[in-house]
Amino acid sequence: MEGDIDGVLARRVGRRDFLRYSAILGTAGVLAACKKAETVGGGASGSPRPPVSQEPGTLQIFDWAGYEVKPLWRPYAAQFPGQTPHWTTYKDDQFGYSKIAANPDAADFDIVHPCHYFWSDYVKITKSDGSPVLQPWDTSLITNFTQMNPAFIPDGQFNGQQYFVPVDWGFAAPLYRSDKVHPTEDSWGLLWDDRYEGKITWWDSFDMFIPAAYYKGIADPWNMTDDELNTIKQFLISKKKLVKTFWSIDPVTEAMANGDAWIAYAWPLHYVELKGKGLPAVYMNPKEGRTDWYCGFALENGTKNYYHAHDYVNAWISAQSGQWLVANYAYGSLNTTIDLSKVPKDLVKVFSLDDPTALAEPNSHPEQNIARRSVYQAMWDEVKAA
Amino acid sequence: MAELAAGELTQVLAPRRRTWPGTLGLLSGPLLWLVVFFLLPIVIVGAYSVGALSLLPSDVPGGLEIWRRFLSGQSIYLGLFWKSVRMALTASVIVVLLAYPIAYFLALCVKKRKYVLLLLVIAPFLTSYLLRVLAWKVILGDRGVINSLLYFVHLRQPDHPISWLLYSQFAVILVLSYVWVPFVALPIFVSLDNLDRSILEAANDLGASRWKVFWRVTFRLSLPGVIAAFVFVFIPTLGEFVTPLLVGGTSGFMYGNAISDLFTQGLDWRTGSVLAIFLLGVVALLLALFGRFLQVRRIGAA
Amino acid sequence: MDIATSRNGLRALRAFFAFLVVFLYAPIAVLVIFSFNNSVVISFPLSGFTLRWYEQFLSNPSLLHALRTSVIVATLSSCVTVALGVLASIAIVRRRLVAKSAISALLLSPLVIPYVVFGISLLVLFRVIDKVLAPTLGIVIGTGIHAIVIGHVVVSLPYAMLTLVPRLERISVSLEEAARDLGAGGIETFRRVTLPLIFPSVVSAFLIAFTLSFDEYAIASFVAGQDATYPIYLFSQLRVAFLFPQLLAVSSIVLVVSLLLVLATEIGRRRTERKFEGEVGRIIL
Repeated sequence: MEGDIDGVLARRVGRRDFLRYSAILGTAGVLAACKKAETVGGGASGSPRPPVSQEPGTLQIFDWAGYEVKPLWRPYAAQFPGQTPHWTTYKDDQFGYSKIAANPDAADFDIVHPCHYFWSDYVKITKSDGSPVLQPWDTSLITNFTQMNPAFIPDGQFNGQQYFVPVDWGFAAPLYRSDKVHPTEDSWGLLWDDRYEGKITWWDSFDMFIPAAYYKGIADPWNMTDDELNTIKQFLISKKKLVKTFWSIDPVTEAMANGDAWIAYAWPLHYVELKGKGLPAVYMNPKEGRTDWYCGFALENGTKNYYHAHDYVNAWISAQSGQWLVANYAYGSLNTTIDLSKVPKDLVKVFSLDDPTALAEPNSHPEQNIARRSVYQAMWDEVKAA
Repeated sequence: MAELAAGELTQVLAPRRRTWPGTLGLLSGPLLWLVVFFLLPIVIVGAYSVGALSLLPSDVPGGLEIWRRFLSGQSIYLGLFWKSVRMALTASVIVVLLAYPIAYFLALCVKKRKYVLLLLVIAPFLTSYLLRVLAWKVILGDRGVINSLLYFVHLRQPDHPISWLLYSQFAVILVLSYVWVPFVALPIFVSLDNLDRSILEAANDLGASRWKVFWRVTFRLSLPGVIAAFVFVFIPTLGEFVTPLLVGGTSGFMYGNAISDLFTQGLDWRTGSVLAIFLLGVVALLLALFGRFLQVRRIGAA
Repeated sequence: MDIATSRNGLRALRAFFAFLVVFLYAPIAVLVIFSFNNSVVISFPLSGFTLRWYEQFLSNPSLLHALRTSVIVATLSSCVTVALGVLASIAIVRRRLVAKSAISALLLSPLVIPYVVFGISLLVLFRVIDKVLAPTLGIVIGTGIHAIVIGHVVVSLPYAMLTLVPRLERISVSLEEAARDLGAGGIETFRRVTLPLIFPSVVSAFLIAFTLSFDEYAIASFVAGQDATYPIYLFSQLRVAFLFPQLLAVSSIVLVVSLLLVLATEIGRRRTERKFEGEVGRIIL
């Protein structure tokens, strides 16, 4: 059994076969993976920790905006009534990371929630005394950990320890108003469809290079050569005139609802928002494949709320919370015991929640750490300045 | 008369009473604060820009190469700087042109309730900047207030709104003007309000027409306030990034956005520092040129 | 005849003033109107009156916490600003200084720094200081309310100077001299004579610093720790569309409160000013 799982873990691509492990292989695989995770996790320092009753209690959580709503951590509220955590929200991963990396000594959070393409950056951050800013989880303290999709667990491990508990995931794909827009084919090309000049909005991020690169058939959009980057840059510049605006900190669905734009690079939540405004919307499954991301919780090294933090994550990754996340935000949960029959059918269909291959290549491409981030940024600046 | 005498007496007594330790006590707090928390950080960013300091794990060595690429125009940022200068200049000129008549009206034409009206102009400054900018999106959008109005009076079809109102350089300049007018009206108001009316009357008595009095006397005397106002709006506008982000669309990208992006998106602090230090250098140059107009007494609130 | 304008000129100026007031208040009116609009879509036509956005925001703990943090930050930073501003303006107005113009220039220079640059610089500064101090003394400046206050004091100090210095210049030195001649010490003179005389300006300076700090985003976003200020909250939550109407509700309330506050202090300021000017006049004459 052990060797079997090792083989699975070694096959990094295999982890994309999301539901193959959870739904098809079923509990046996999950439990085995959990065993494995236990052996590698839980290697926290040996110094004695105060018991949970002597911890300060109020968790400091550094998270994306929108994740602080109570249905996502209700079991924790029941466990520690009156100890509502305290949130600070950031607008994107880059901002969250740069704030911590800029002054790790001042890190005053207990839990942070970065996405996987930033994980390898996070584990490199050290304080002035040389100690890392994060510490691994003791997964034996997180009872729901056994329910998590084992395919994603290894990504959260560094130096053989579980630094990140992967929990939520989502897509990036074109979103459009179907009362106004009639695509000729399901393709990222809708984001630069000449027929909709002035009604398109791109995300204000160098991540726009990725769909353009897939559209242009570039093999590895996350590690483009200078030539490839230049090609994509020129392409985006040539299509820029079609774009109404780059959305960033303001609600993109606001612009779509009031008619300033009909087509957007968007996340699942945007689909739900647009639907919520009573508008007909389609979240496309482009032939080049959607991109996807998943995020996980990490624990600060000097936390005084060690046990509270574990219990919070345990509550967050529970099937109950995950179900709410899926049903209300349309973001996926990596908890494998979620009852999809309790999730709106529309969402299950649009986000292929019951399709074992939805998150697998080539249907969807997991976003990756872009090693040459600053080069991508400079290129994106050139697109914007053109 | 008594006041004058007392004042003269003070001048005589002054050296005895006002000793350096006392002055040092007064000034050490504010100066220390600014040196440590204002000048020092700038020095540090300067060090960062030349590669003398690294904080991020991903920082690359060699800031001089980035400086060279920047100054020689090989990277886009210098060009972007000039574009931003043009936009900031346009916005500043418009702001001053809008603010001057207001300040003139309040300072010289209104007798009663002068300050209440001034307050009326300044009050919008108190609402959240971000939300005021967002409100303009509602006004200027394709189905916003203006386009709805045009549709209502049958000047435009709903399918053919005026679409350049929002997400354009026009929008950036309009919103920047809107944001800065109340603030800029102040220094101009002060310089006009402090004007000695008897000078104007004397000019008039000597046969100058109203226009001539305005142009040759009033305007010239208010010039320090105007220049101060201009510098006050020009420099922050040059570093502005929120307004272009929200209403600028694809053509509103400005130098301030590039700095903000480099620090918070690209995580390229080296290049970001180069851009920041260059901007500060330009600001320092402007201050050296126009500094004499920025004296406290010229622009201070009444 | 009025030398400033002709009758037609006055009419034109009045019309322009009215136009500008409309220009300045139209967006604010839009904010307030939509805060009562019963729709999640912020566009015309309006779809009915509701108070639910107000109810929602009153039951949103993160938002209320952010507002509270901003009030704390703004109060602290305006207090420090006023204290430093009074000290510096007394030195500038009442003392003979070496390099007076250089000192004034330094005091005013934060007026013209782009806030993004300054915010980042401060963050980097604290990191460098911490790198030295954390291992040796165990002191960490880091991020947090105190860090925001430090930054906000820097940028609001010039505004305080601009308010205090002209006022101080208009007050005759003779009053302070008289107090001293009557045996009052420096601190007592300040407390019993100078401070009451400049008090209206102290209030103005406080208000300006408070407003600036309450609405400042760029600096705060870099040096804030766990406690987000109101603008930071606005910026990070803006993307979540269902919160948008709530934000309009908050901003409407903030606007009304600050308008009332300013109006009240302005009236109070005028009143004390008139009273003091009367007394000062009697003393001098």
